[in-house]
Amino acid sequence: MAQTKTTSHSGTSAAAQEATIGSGTRVRGRVSGDGDLVILGQVEGEITMRGDLTIGQGGSVTSNVEVRGIEIAGSLEGDVNASGDVHISSGARVRGDMRGAQIAIDEGAEFAGRLDCDFELPAELQSSR
Amino acid sequence: MASTVIGAGITIEGEVATDDDVIVQGTIRGKLNAKESVTIEEGATVEADIVGGAMRVAGQVTGNISSTDRVDLQPGAKVVGNVKAARITIADGAQFKGNVDMDV
Repeated sequence: MAQTKTTSHSGTSAAAQEATIGSGTRVRGRVSGDGDLVILGQVEGEITMRGDLTIGQGGSVTSNVEVRGIEIAGSLEGDVNASGDVHISSGARVRGDMRGAQIAIDEGAEFAGRLDCDFELPAELQSSR
Repeated sequence: MASTVIGAGITIEGEVATDDDVIVQGTIRGKLNAKESVTIEEGATVEADIVGGAMRVAGQVTGNISSTDRVDLQPGAKVVGNVKAARITIADGAQFKGNVDMDV
């Protein structure tokens, strides 16, 4: 996909670029799309993506998020509904309910909220209930 | 890399304010307030008033454009709205409907 982009644009921005909300950018409103998105700036509103979302260090998001996978290293206030994995990295500050196929919280991350994750209990735990 | 890229599959409905360079390949509806350069690429749709520095437009813009520097409407661009800038070029193949204000 990056290849086709490079060839279709003959201009200055020929390099394959990820969709990015840069560190000096503030967005207020709805953000939606099919691709991946990296947020290094501020977003206030609602995010609905069919791809993966990365909230980088310094990124600040105040919104409910519906995505495939999400990687959080910045701050997030809002509920996450992910069809893929949720990864809260070290240094992240998260307040909200997380729902995902798998959820990981690294050491050094701050988190306040609920985790909701469907999985099969191992057989030995199931039998003990 | 202080740059904001609104990728081809991305739609923003609302207000975008930025100190970065902005490249739009997707869709923005609302407002775009930039301090640096703004590039509206081929295939992009902007239904918003745009304020910023140097602007290069090759996509579709419906809204007023105001630049502190220059505006270049490139071949394939389709702009409906007023353009205010000190320097303006409209390339052969660009479509434009609106007023030009070069602040003379």
